[in-house]
Amino acid sequence: MRRRVRNRVRTLPLEIASGVLALALTSGAVAVIRLRLREPVIYSLGPLLTMTGIFFVAIVIGEVFRGRQPGTRHTAPMATAAALALAMTVECPHGVPAGYGAPLVVVVTAAAMAAGLTPSLIRRQPLRLTDLSNSLLAITVAAVLFREVPISNGRTVLELQASWRPDVLALVMVLISAFALTVEVLLLALVRAARSHAPFLRSFQDEFVAAFGLTAALSATGALVALAERPLGVLAIPLFLFPLGLTQFAVQRQSAIRRTYGQTIRTLSRLTEFGGYTEPGHASRVAELSLAMGKLLGMSERDVLDLEYAALLHDIGQVSLAEPIPGGATVLAAPADQRRIAHDGAEIVRQTGVLDNVAVILEAQTTSYRHVRELGEDLPLASRIIKVCNAYDDMAGSRPSTVRHNAAMERINLGLGYEYDPRVVDALGRVLERDRRHIGANAR
Amino acid sequence: MKDTGSKGRSQAVGVPSFAVSGYIAAVLFLAVGLAALAWRIHPLNNDVATGNDIVTLVALAVLGVLGSVSQERNVGGRISFSFVSIILLAAVALTGPFGAAVVGALTYLLAVDKQRLEVRAFNIGMASAIGAAGGFAYLMAGGATEVGDAGGVGPLFLHVGLPLMLADVVICLLNALILSGIVRLTQGTPMRRFVLGMLGTSGPAYIGYGLIGFLFVILWVPAGVGPASAVLILAPLFVARWAFVQYGDEQRAHERTLSALATAVETKDLYTRGHSERVATLCDLMAGSLALSHQETEALRYAGILHDLGKLAIPTRVLRTADRPCDADLASIATHAARGVEMVRGIEFLSDSTEAILHHHERMDGRGYPAGLRGEETPLLARIIAVADAFDSLTTSRFHREALTVKEALAELHQRAGTQLDPSIVAALERSLVRHVWEPTRLEPALMATAGRAFDHDDPAASDLMAGLAGTETST
Repeated sequence: MRRRVRNRVRTLPLEIASGVLALALTSGAVAVIRLRLREPVIYSLGPLLTMTGIFFVAIVIGEVFRGRQPGTRHTAPMATAAALALAMTVECPHGVPAGYGAPLVVVVTAAAMAAGLTPSLIRRQPLRLTDLSNSLLAITVAAVLFREVPISNGRTVLELQASWRPDVLALVMVLISAFALTVEVLLLALVRAARSHAPFLRSFQDEFVAAFGLTAALSATGALVALAERPLGVLAIPLFLFPLGLTQFAVQRQSAIRRTYGQTIRTLSRLTEFGGYTEPGHASRVAELSLAMGKLLGMSERDVLDLEYAALLHDIGQVSLAEPIPGGATVLAAPADQRRIAHDGAEIVRQTGVLDNVAVILEAQTTSYRHVRELGEDLPLASRIIKVCNAYDDMAGSRPSTVRHNAAMERINLGLGYEYDPRVVDALGRVLERDRRHIGANAR
Repeated sequence: MKDTGSKGRSQAVGVPSFAVSGYIAAVLFLAVGLAALAWRIHPLNNDVATGNDIVTLVALAVLGVLGSVSQERNVGGRISFSFVSIILLAAVALTGPFGAAVVGALTYLLAVDKQRLEVRAFNIGMASAIGAAGGFAYLMAGGATEVGDAGGVGPLFLHVGLPLMLADVVICLLNALILSGIVRLTQGTPMRRFVLGMLGTSGPAYIGYGLIGFLFVILWVPAGVGPASAVLILAPLFVARWAFVQYGDEQRAHERTLSALATAVETKDLYTRGHSERVATLCDLMAGSLALSHQETEALRYAGILHDLGKLAIPTRVLRTADRPCDADLASIATHAARGVEMVRGIEFLSDSTEAILHHHERMDGRGYPAGLRGEETPLLARIIAVADAFDSLTTSRFHREALTVKEALAELHQRAGTQLDPSIVAALERSLVRHVWEPTRLEPALMATAGRAFDHDDPAASDLMAGLAGTETST
């Protein structure tokens, strides 16, 4: 926990930088649009005001309910979909053509997002400005593509669409939204990669896969609302956001059960502590360290999750022992005992029928690295990570002094290449170095 | 719409009997009759100028088939999703009753998943019949036969939205009614209970289907998007469905993980191996005869699985004591209930179960532990676990005695009803054991030899022993 808080403090400047970048891009885009001379469009103000007013309200509501749980993407889907629809609206109520340009879309969206922040400000919750500026950028991209970029004979999509069939227009709308949202995911991946010190390409892949479902739903809904405005007027906005509401509900349920699952595994990992088999906090410290190393070594989100669970449960095999090992430190136990505990743990986890990957990791957690070198065995990276982290924590313990830390690192370095994977030990050094710098910085 | 798709293959229409075949034939007959009537009232519009219903119909049927591929697997919890209902509603407004009947029939006729012949026939008949009935309801409520003519927002709601809602209600009711017949025949569930149950669980979803069906129709005709509207409308729903399926998978994974890891704790003691699992099963049986709610049943099952988790914190030496442990050891054993609660405190969704875990060794006469609660002061779920716990202990081999038969164990429990156990729950156990076979757990002599001797704290005799201890404690 402590470590996580520290990471947040550290990456904050980076997040601000990315937020500023997104805002700069947005305003740059708006400025460029401004330069482009537009024919003055005469449109009646009434219908336009009604429509933008309702969009404004929809975005504000969506923003107020912006999800706060970490790990979920597109945290305000209703707001994003409404803003996308505003960006791609072709007709105001009463059949008035919607001739406005992208700047109006950006201004309305930004104002609504700002208004949506009010409850967070009152409750003094942290503002997720990075997410907000990323979303705004996506909306800007969509609005510019739809309303400003000339695609054929100097005419924009908005000007051309009158002669298109509605289903062709629908397809174009979906494509534009999907492109804009992918840009958002790209920026999000940049932030995440910086935050977890993970390789960028891996982060983008993870974010893209995780966001794919909602991106599809959002793209479709933006187009739905924009198209349904013709027959239904502004009523289309609340009505056609309804299916997306269902999606949001489902996705939230899904991430809620994921959280509960993690919670259960964390609690169960403490069973051995309750039974007096292991030191308090050992499992969670090993898990935290393994997690940081897994990300650093570029493992995928799915693999990192398996790694985390395996690290949490790595000592579960000890419950089958009649009497606890002194101090619970497996690194000091005889190799045969270590292997048996690992095997029992893997068996227990395999019983669940759903954690087979974790069981495979547990099975191999005591295998020496030389098996890879000499026998060409296929040893999962996760197992190698847990082996190193477990050894470090067994020897250094919680909040080690510099002396203990150095002693532990020295012992691990003695087994380098024979017992431990050099690449993993190197990652351990880097992660710990990062943390120790922090403790130093915080102490000062 | 709920069909017998997944259920039917395993059990619902498992035994084709004369009555079942007759019922299916009657449903098919009803469907044909309704379709003929529909053709008389409102034949398909074949005129290319005003819109060709055949094209719409084929497009809808294709969508229906696609929708039925992912039809109605139980999506975790009690959320279910049905694309076919939405497609049927769209067919009602776009093509009229005959079109809806045809779309319903085609959907299951062409469905690609492997269904047994009679299941398929039943589904075809039911979908077709409810489609036609929905179409009649739509027309009777003044629904527009040409949606495109209903210009303007007001007429769209009045002549399309409202009649479609009515059609939705009719489809929902008729679906429940026809299904309840087949379930009555194959599983013996009373029709009234089934219909009420189904309206309770999937009734709210039908409101959503009605609304989405309406949006679908609007996008199709007045907005002019045509068949492509299916992609736009159904994309968010497909994603929602996918998330719900994932949710269901995760939830099952969660449950299995929890029970497997909890069972692992039992490996310490050969005698109690499988005990938690069996207690949870007994609790499930009793939940049925005590008519517990869905939520209570869930909480009870988790409490059953985890009720002895706290034993992990008790030194193995104490659990391995042969005959009568010393008072200090008994006191240590008595802490397992509270220790168990301590262990699962971090898990939010178990909050309903913790009470039951804490109090599962209370007695009706107030001499139990840890709190000495009396009678109904003990939470209901804890009293249920107490009975299951004692019953499983009695029907399992111990080093000093054979496993009791179900009859002997029940007699023993009846003797203790009122002092240790709640009589009404013992009665509930007896009721549920009439309908379910329970095999006593007989352990191999060889296994028992290696297991050695152990103190079984769940044996009713142990409860008396510990009650005596509590008595002396309070008296001194």
